[in-house]
Amino acid sequence: MSPKWRRYLRFWRPDVRADVDDELAFHMQERVDDLVATGLDRNVAQQEAMRLFGDMPRVKDECIEEALKLETEMRRLETLDVLKQDAIYALRLMRAHPTFTSAIMLTLALGIGATTAVFSIVNAVLLRPLPYRDADRVVLIAETFRGGRGSASGGHVTDWTNQSRTVERTSIWQLRTINLTEGEPERLRAARVTPSFFEVLYVRPALGRYFLPEENADSRVTVLSHPLWVARFNADSAIIGRQVRLGGEPHTVVGVAPANFTMTEFDERLWTPFAITTEQASNYGAHMFTVFGKLKPGANIEQAQADLATITEGIRQRAPDEMNERGVQVVSYGSLLVDGWDTQLWVLLGAVTFVLLIGCVNVISLLLARATARRKEIAIRGALGGARARLVRQLLTESLLLATAGGLAGIIVAKVGIRFFVGMGPAGVPRLDEAGLNWQVLGFAIAATLLCGVVFGLVPAFRATRVDLQSELRDGGRGSRGVIRDRVRGTLIVAEMAVALVLLVSAGLLLRSAYLLQRVEPGFDPRNVTMMRVALPALRYDSAEAVQAGFARILEQVRGVPGVEVAAAGTRVPMWGASIDIGVRVDGRPFNPKDLLIGHVRLVTDQYFETIRIPITKGRSLKASDLAAGAPSVIVVNETFARRTFGDENPIGKRISGWTRDTLPEWREIVGVSGDVRAFGRENESPPEIYMPMTQAPSNAWASYNRSMTFIAKSRPGISVTAPMRAALRNVDPELPAYDVQTMDNVLSQSTATRRFNTLLLTCLGLTGLLLAAIGIYGVIAFFVSQRTQEIGVRMALGASAGSVVGLVVRHAAALAGIGILVGGVAAYWATSALASMLFSIDARDPLAFVVGALALLGVALGAAWIPARRAARVPPIRALTDL
Amino acid sequence: MKNELLHGTLEVMILKTLSWGRLHGYGIGRWIMDQGGDALRIEEGSLYPALYRLERKGLIDAEWGISEKNRKAKYYRLTPKGRRVLTAHVVTWTDFATAVGRVLSSADAPSPA
Repeated sequence: MSPKWRRYLRFWRPDVRADVDDELAFHMQERVDDLVATGLDRNVAQQEAMRLFGDMPRVKDECIEEALKLETEMRRLETLDVLKQDAIYALRLMRAHPTFTSAIMLTLALGIGATTAVFSIVNAVLLRPLPYRDADRVVLIAETFRGGRGSASGGHVTDWTNQSRTVERTSIWQLRTINLTEGEPERLRAARVTPSFFEVLYVRPALGRYFLPEENADSRVTVLSHPLWVARFNADSAIIGRQVRLGGEPHTVVGVAPANFTMTEFDERLWTPFAITTEQASNYGAHMFTVFGKLKPGANIEQAQADLATITEGIRQRAPDEMNERGVQVVSYGSLLVDGWDTQLWVLLGAVTFVLLIGCVNVISLLLARATARRKEIAIRGALGGARARLVRQLLTESLLLATAGGLAGIIVAKVGIRFFVGMGPAGVPRLDEAGLNWQVLGFAIAATLLCGVVFGLVPAFRATRVDLQSELRDGGRGSRGVIRDRVRGTLIVAEMAVALVLLVSAGLLLRSAYLLQRVEPGFDPRNVTMMRVALPALRYDSAEAVQAGFARILEQVRGVPGVEVAAAGTRVPMWGASIDIGVRVDGRPFNPKDLLIGHVRLVTDQYFETIRIPITKGRSLKASDLAAGAPSVIVVNETFARRTFGDENPIGKRISGWTRDTLPEWREIVGVSGDVRAFGRENESPPEIYMPMTQAPSNAWASYNRSMTFIAKSRPGISVTAPMRAALRNVDPELPAYDVQTMDNVLSQSTATRRFNTLLLTCLGLTGLLLAAIGIYGVIAFFVSQRTQEIGVRMALGASAGSVVGLVVRHAAALAGIGILVGGVAAYWATSALASMLFSIDARDPLAFVVGALALLGVALGAAWIPARRAARVPPIRALTDL
Repeated sequence: MKNELLHGTLEVMILKTLSWGRLHGYGIGRWIMDQGGDALRIEEGSLYPALYRLERKGLIDAEWGISEKNRKAKYYRLTPKGRRVLTAHVVTWTDFATAVGRVLSSADAPSPA
């Protein structure tokens, strides 16, 4: 039997053990009494009662167990009931204040939605593992030249493969273009790969198989990419074993790679096998192969780098001439793919999170204002015995409900946002199209929502419930604690201003970069110029003469197109196509491989400069007579080349030789100097360039250019010549596909498309931040004014002018904004360094962007404060009395 | 066999007992045994777990009160839900008992298959 005092515990909560004890004790007493009444002795009766009862300890246990379960269930039901009450109350409040509710929901929906959308991109592009087997061990091994990554020679690949202790397997990848002549001829980007390529980068094939180790160029087999298989062969699974004509020769399709196998910007459409020749395997001078390798398990990039550097140093010992300023670099394939994009995406995610933060600050501000308005209600509830925890829970339920509503709407916003990014995003972002609302992304949205709900529920909840009940009720809810609460709101505004300034400065930096970039003269005039690329198959155009004659015939046809004023051809046009660098020596200077000059060489026809309007600054342009057979060897160089090679000397008449580092130079005379062209996009300095008549190139040069040329035609304004140019090509050779047919205006604008997209996004985010900050400071100042209506009324009654009242209010706003701008300035100074790689010709600490951003923010803040300030100045003094 | 049969029906019998009004556990046990006689004799203790189960199911309510002899006793009462369950059980049980009774007292031999 339990001590009697335990029963008093029931006063606080039921004690099931004591209850069971009591109940069973009662049973025994009654039973004994009944037995005694039948004439039994009390002791005997007690034993008899126990016998009749049975197993007392077991019964007790069973009863206690049941009772405990019941109690737990009751408590749970009670909690649910309270939650339901809270939720119903919160919903009623939300419905009672539709403007308030929708303002918060909209802010959250946009904030959470935009952040989630950007996160889904970051997740798809940067966070998800690559689909390849052991993807973290796949690396690119590049030969470097003057620090930049480049292609490797066959000798390098061979030595790396044979001597490395850290690389398990190497493979070679070489981009080329090839004509697919099945029905409509098409020029395709293709890659020649060693069979091990598909072992280094392995994903199960969609169909068939990859290459066998013994297969090479003679095997005439090919693996198709998924997009090509779908587009050209209607995803026909009977394609395996069929023959397709590539470069005029039949190839057997042995496999189809899965969708999204290729993630590089080159996006090749098919693969053919090859092996390097014994001659290539011992050549250290022809840098032409891209090498992908797979590290041995356990080896890391640093070890592989050190290992391969040692091997490359060995090559330098044996062939010092070939290794001038060259080295080796190992890069993980994953980081290579997202190179450049990662910074931009993280910056974007940071910026959009900042906007969400500003939005949250506004929401907290709104909730605080409402909590203040509800102080009296809360005080009464407290006075009536509402526990603080219960009140906090009530407020938290409200904010969580608001956040959930906002978050749900945000998921819809995110869905739209993702579609926008995938549709409008710059070309070449790997796996961008795979972004979507998957579980990780939804998890992110839910986490963001809950975090928002809890944070801006707790802050006002704790503030609001820490009320002095007596003073609150006595003051009629006006309260003297407004000053303290104002300090919280002031801090929030300062934080908001600071974050907004970081956004504004970032947007300003990008805008200024974009503006400066747009002012860079490209060096040529793209207007009314259309380009078209053509490549001649080796099978039918087997000699340099045949190639040149073919191109000459096409040019003749293009020049005959009605509407074309002037036309020419070149192996490369500005901002488009691959270039070839050659080493150059100068006549009259001693030959030293270390002093070798590098120039980007392009083969051109006459009128190249005239068509695309590159000015000739010295000497003359290339003429038709320069292309005639037997004409003397001449070239035109650009100003950068002339300046770097000859300094202030007049380059006209000087002779240079290039292409091969032969000991028997072929001297060519410089007859003209052309203006510099931003050949690799506006943001890159002009490289040194050499223009050579196409007929004067060494005969092996055409293979390096894939026997391809770009035709450019300047037409009369307002005439599209794309269709007639294609027709002109068909007149010469109906089997030749035209590709990359587009206007040069388009090429020029494409070259800055990514930057424009980034700038546009960050500017939008910056402006959103500015707008939200304005709303925030407006809210706080309006609140400040409403709290001081009485004081203002008294002041005005005592003769204060409207101007001084406005001044009072605006000074308050200016103080808040000023502190915010100071804090934000420091934060921005630190944060904008993340933008450095995205800027053009300005520093990440560009003072102009900082000053303009700060002034814009200050102006908007004061403007937002002006409205409530004017309202304050119109307070009739009588209000001061009536409100007392 | 007798015990198993009783275990399932004990709860129904408790409900039936309480249909007359509120009663403490000892009174319930005594009433059942008075009605059922020796055929329904059980260990008195087994009544209590059954009571707690019924309370958890929401079929009966309990409250503390003072007995006729001025002792503190826990009184049980049928809830509306308990009353509905009892009615349903009584119908089912009567039908079942009648059917079993008919079979056991039948004089007809089974017809050959």
